[in-house]
Amino acid sequence: MSATTGIRPTKGYLMEMKRRIGFIERGTEFLKLKRDHLAKELTTSLDELKGRRSKLLENLRIAYRAVTAAYISLGPTEVRSQASSIKNRLELEVLPRSVMGVRYPYIKVEKEPQIAGELDITLSEAAGKVLGILEDILKLAEFEARAERIADELGKTNRKVNALENTIIPRYKRIIKFIEDKLDEESLEELVRMKLIGGALARRRV
Amino acid sequence: MVIRSHALIADLMTQEKIHGLAESGTIEEFIKRLSGTQYEGITIGEGGDPSITLEKEFYLKFIERMTKIVDIAPKKLGEFLQAYYYLRFEMINLKRILRGKFSELPVSEILGYLIPMEPYQVPDYEGLVEAETFERTVDMLGDTPYSGVEASLEFCKQYDVLWPMVQSLNHLYATAVLKSLDSLPRRDRTLIRNILRFEVNVENLLNAIKHRRMRQDDEEDRRLEELFPITFDIDLHQIRALIDSEDLKSAIEDLGEPFSDILTPIYEGDVALIRARVRRHTLKIVEQGRSVNDFGFNVIMAYLIFSELEKDDLVGIAWGITQGISAEEMTKYLAVA
Repeated sequence: MSATTGIRPTKGYLMEMKRRIGFIERGTEFLKLKRDHLAKELTTSLDELKGRRSKLLENLRIAYRAVTAAYISLGPTEVRSQASSIKNRLELEVLPRSVMGVRYPYIKVEKEPQIAGELDITLSEAAGKVLGILEDILKLAEFEARAERIADELGKTNRKVNALENTIIPRYKRIIKFIEDKLDEESLEELVRMKLIGGALARRRV
Repeated sequence: MVIRSHALIADLMTQEKIHGLAESGTIEEFIKRLSGTQYEGITIGEGGDPSITLEKEFYLKFIERMTKIVDIAPKKLGEFLQAYYYLRFEMINLKRILRGKFSELPVSEILGYLIPMEPYQVPDYEGLVEAETFERTVDMLGDTPYSGVEASLEFCKQYDVLWPMVQSLNHLYATAVLKSLDSLPRRDRTLIRNILRFEVNVENLLNAIKHRRMRQDDEEDRRLEELFPITFDIDLHQIRALIDSEDLKSAIEDLGEPFSDILTPIYEGDVALIRARVRRHTLKIVEQGRSVNDFGFNVIMAYLIFSELEKDDLVGIAWGITQGISAEEMTKYLAVA
């Protein structure tokens, strides 16, 4: 079906179409601004992620070595038994945050487990190292969720901008052009008709 | 019995054998390599964590070895050995039960943590585990030689911690072993006393370091004597210095040998090496004991201590293999290797 099917080629409709295309073009400009800002945020988040991830991997290796050493030194059952005596477990609160209208989770540590007293020094050291990187792990998870949602929103915004630029706006332009052409055609017909009527009246007077 | 102990020591695993086991690669290969040793016939069954199954098997093997020695030992020596080892293992079981009850673990999980042995000074472990609450378990211990733990219950409840009760059990163990030494002839007491002194000294130092990390409050300040009821070469003054010292390294160095060497990993980073060094020093004490008298009680004790260290090493290796840890990494933390 043509874009112009069912269009009323009137001046009022043309003015409405022009008002709408003006609004759509302003919206497109805003979406482009949003897209650029999201792209910038995504680049920053990805750089941050890369840095945090390599730092975390190294710290994880250190913590894993400490946990391994504790297991070999104390035996698996003793480690599990001691670990079970930690009563104050880690408590987290997940809060929403937003960048350019994109919501992502922000993780807040409410309560950290008290490990020093209950564990053998070997296990306490390992647990301390794991706890030490916990904040990094949470931050990394937060940045991953943030990057993922920004990328998702960036994709959506990009699709919207493309749709507006390549489909909606050209369609409106075609409609406007169609109405303008129709109106021009109508005014030309009107002019010819007037001329013919004018000529006929002049001949009758003669 | 002494000659038999010499023969049994010769049957224990050598350093090379332990190294070979650590290089097994898979748990199946590990069991295959064990088949040519005293641990022949050990199986892991199906399902569950094979390292936990093997740990239980190694404990059973050690208890079997110890029981064989107790059976052939003269009455007083047998009683002492039984008290020494059964008490030690029962302490481990009681700590695991108390931890489980304290953190309200399911009964089956707590029972799964226990060393497979008959109860020694408590009527039964199931009763303690199945008690409705942690307080009730402690209350039930009131009718046993471990009634001393009840005194720390209030402190545990007040601060919602368990370590005072664990320390109280350690204190009871050290006191009971020291008391049981009286049943031995005077010449045979030195080795056990040396080992116990060393163990108490190290545990006191490690606890002091823990308190230093916990940033002890006034309450704990007042309770220092209660927290360290038994001290030997390291007195309360040195413990206080270690807790309060600004510079941990210099405080550890001030302790002198062997403690300064054993605790070095604390500031060098690999804290787990402390346990390996403690075990190796225990080996050294036993070797020294044998150099003084290699034809008496010291040899019997040496066999049991070597055996226990071998068990600990095998438990570590079994876990390391299931986790794919390299032999080189594992052997750093073993006593015999």
